[in-house]
Formats: sequence, C-alpha cells, structure tokens
Amino acid sequence: MTTAPEKLAAQGTHEKISESLISTLPGYTYVDEGVFEAEQERIFEQMWFCAVRSADLEKPGSFKTVQIGRESVIVSCNRKGEIRAFFNICRHRGVKLCMEESGQAERSFQCPYHAWTYDLDGKLIAAPNLTKMPDIDRHEHGLVKVHIREYLGYVWLCLAEEPPSFEEDVMGAIEERLGDVHKIDGYDVANLSLGRRITYDVKANWKLIIENFMECYHCATIHPELTEVLPEFADGLAAQYFVGHGAEFGENIKGFTVDGSEGLDVIPGVAEDQDRRYYAITIKPTVFVNLVPDHVIIHRMFPMAADRTIVECDWLYLPSVVESGKDVSASVELFHRVNQQDFDACERCQPAMSSRIYAKGGVLVPSEHHIGAFHDWVMDQVGDVVPESSHGVRKEVR
Amino acid sequence: MSSETDQMMRVCPLSQLARGDAMRLETRPPIALFHTEEGELFAIDDTCTHQDASLADGYVEGCEVECPLHASKFDLRTGKVDAPPAKLPVRVHTVEVLDGDIYLKESEEEPNLPPGITVDGHV
Ligand code: FES
Ligand code: FES
Ligand SMILES: [Fe+2]
Repeated sequence: MTTAPEKLAAQGTHEKISESLISTLPGYTYVDEGVFEAEQERIFEQMWFCAVRSADLEKPGSFKTVQIGRESVIVSCNRKGEIRAFFNICRHRGVKLCMEESGQAERSFQCPYHAWTYDLDGKLIAAPNLTKMPDIDRHEHGLVKVHIREYLGYVWLCLAEEPPSFEEDVMGAIEERLGDVHKIDGYDVANLSLGRRITYDVKANWKLIIENFMECYHCATIHPELTEVLPEFADGLAAQYFVGHGAEFGENIKGFTVDGSEGLDVIPGVAEDQDRRYYAITIKPTVFVNLVPDHVIIHRMFPMAADRTIVECDWLYLPSVVESGKDVSASVELFHRVNQQDFDACERCQPAMSSRIYAKGGVLVPSEHHIGAFHDWVMDQVGDVVPESSHGVRKEVR
Repeated sequence: MSSETDQMMRVCPLSQLARGDAMRLETRPPIALFHTEEGELFAIDDTCTHQDASLADGYVEGCEVECPLHASKFDLRTGKVDAPPAKLPVRVHTVEVLDGDIYLKESEEEPNLPPGITVDGHV
C-alpha cells in the first residue's frame, strides 16, 4: 500500500447533532429568493466565474452571452483575436445589446434602439449626431469591461471592481484538492479539444449540485456504472474527501468508459502515479473538474434561479483523438449517466427544501462531513440574510 | 508651389495619416479623409446623407466606406451610394500630396446633407 491519504477533518460552526451527525444548511437557503439574490450579488458577481471555453470564440466578432449573477455579459473576440468581455448593456439608455446566446458580430455591436455602435473592444465608435457632441468620451461611454483571465482553456470573468486573487481562489482550489497545483499541468487541459458538450437544465439549487458532487455516499446506490469502474467508491468516500488521492480503476477495467472498455489515447503528460486514476476538483463557486488519463471533464454551472441551474459539461480529449473522429461515445456515456443520475437526485431534493420538515435542514454522515466546510463558506457569505418566508410570517403576526 | 496647390488647403503631413486610418476635418461641412490599406488617399463629405453619422468612423473596404450606423456604402472615388437607407451621394474632394504634405480642394457642388443638418451643424 502507498501512503494513507490525508483525511480532511470536518470543522465548522454547524450544529453537531450526535457523534456521527452534523446538520446541513437549513432548507430555506435552497429556495429563498432573498438568499439567492444575496448569493448572486456576493458570490457570483464577486468571484472568478468560469464562463466560456476560449476555443468557442476564435473568430473576430464571435460572441457568447452568459448570465453571471443578475448580470448578462457579452464575451467576444476582437479583431486581433483577443478575448474581451463587457456588460451586455447599451450605455445610452440601457437596452440589452445582444439577445442571442451566441452569434457573430459583423464589425461592431450596435444597439437596436438608437444605433449607438461599439467596436469589438467596446469603444463607442458611432452614434447618430455623435460628432455634434464632442464632449462624449468614446472610451468613457463605451461598453463597461469585465475582468478576464484565461486558464485551462476557459475564459474566467470577474464582475467585481476589485477582483479577488485568481491564484488563491481558482488555482488554490486545485492545489487544495491535488496537493499541488502543478499536478494538473500534465493533462495540458488548455490544449485539449472538445469531444462532446451536453447542457443540462437542472431544476435544483446550485448548492445541492455542489454538495452532490462533493460526496460519494450516494455512489454505490445511484451510480452502478461509475462504481463498477471505480470500486473504491462503494465505500462512500469521494475523491474529494482526500487530498492528492485519485480513485483507482478496478482491476478488470481498461478505461474510464461506461462498460470499462478501452478508453481513448492517454494524454502524454499524465504522470505514472496519475494513470488509471480519477481525480475530482470543485472550484467554487460553479466549476467541477474531473481528470482521467485520457480525458478531462469540465462542468460549468450557471445558477439561473433559486431552483434552477444550467450545467454545461465539456468532454475534452487530445486534439488528435477528436480530429481522427474516433468514437468517444462509450467514454462520454459514463459521465453523462453519472450527471443524469446526480441531477435527478438533486431535482428530487429540491421540492423538500421548502417543506416544514426540512426547516432546520437534514444531516450529514461522517463521509459527508467535509461538505460542512462548504456550508460554513456559504454562511460566511449570506448567513445574515433573513429569509423572505419569515418576512411573510412577520406580516401575518401584525 | 504650383498654381493648383495655391487654391488647395494644406491638411497635414502624410505621415500623420497611416494606411487604414481616416480623419475627420472640421470644415463646413466636415470632410472625411481616408488613407486606404492599399495606399490611396480619398476625401469625401464626412456626414452620411441618411442621418448624422461620421463616415470617418466607418469601415473601409477596397474603394468603399460603409456607414457605421446603417451600413450604406459610399464609393470613395465617385461618392455614389450603393443601397438604402442612404439615397443621395456624398461629394468627392480633390486630394494631393506635395512634398510629403496632404493638400485638399473642396468640391464646389452643393452638399447632400441629411435632414436637419446644415453646413454649420444642426438647424
Ligand atoms: S438605448 Fe442603445 S442606443 Fe439608445
Ligand atoms: S446614417 Fe448612414 S446609413 Fe444611416
Ligand atoms: Fe454522483
């Protein structure tokens, strides 16, 4: 046996119910509009948010619009092929500039109302009577820029005026899980190609999805295929329970596929001790990364409402694999099933969140205690928000 | 200085207008001066004949400039417009380079200014 993986101690302020049990978040935090709004404002609009895959924006003028917290953002490619991001709001009188989820701007973004026209760097370049108003500064009244970082082949955006440290928040999350941020380097994620993308519209709060991804107590029950490939998951301890530990493939398993058949070409930089292993990382607030020897799976969540989250999932392979047209379906099918199984479970939790029975929440068993740290973090951000349901109660009392 | 350039106005050194760039001259009405990627110089009225947009802010492709607001295209050599919403041509002015300086002679025709605009600006 190799060295025993380091166990993460559960700590925090949540209530200890018994030797084995600690409490979850109270039910209202998954349904309350006020809590969700606070999460939008203090979490999604403040932190680095993984928005778009860089390779989806390769042509000048190509753009995507994404919902980050309460804001719509245009992410686009300028004439030089550099990525830019702007609030999707005309500076004149506030029209939403791009209604489409993605598209191709000819040379500029033009507002459909009074035709204020912005170049691909956001500068105001034309407007009716603009030359008669020389006091209008074309940069100052250009589209409002959003902070950008490109990492792992994705465009990460931050809507905060002063972005938090990308190194600490994003790279730090990888470091925390893998024990060393450079352990991801060998997967060369930024240079992999998209083999498949599936978008899931999940009728559940984003926190339920994170909690689900963090634990494996459910694995043996709802993920028969995954547990076949990764037998150690049957003991209920997720890869995310440990630091630097990858779950090992079963003995007769050839690859990370739905039936354990041979996978695709192994990414050459994957280290010997990473071979035949599965790693999972949560990068708060909305990203999950899975690493296996022949591909990388990236989930991006877009919380749309307290009870609705869109999840976009990319399966990434070596460019040669995608170019050759090799069949990736057995490979994609494994985690696609896992996703469906997980999201079904989350959707089954959601309705109970507003039940009186769940007012104080549920309980976490020891193999889930590490989720307590996530709950503490959530409460640090929005714990002060008084649920709207209790406003209602107060009204009744009056 | 030749007699022709006598009636021409000196604009600026050619070196101040790089290829691919355009400049708006605050004449009455304003004139747009273009130095194309191919190295040719053209001058036309700057104000689109459809609405008050500056053609110097437009997009030049070959010998045409596309209005930045509603995409009518004007021929830089003739001033003709290709398609609505603009219907009337812009005037074309004479440009010359002498000793590294750009000179311009304004057309004597009547300009086709958009509704509500006079040579001095808004009515
Ligand atoms: S609101 Fe966009 S131009 Fe008026
Ligand atoms: S302003 Fe030029 S085409 Fe409308
Ligand atoms: Fe799961």
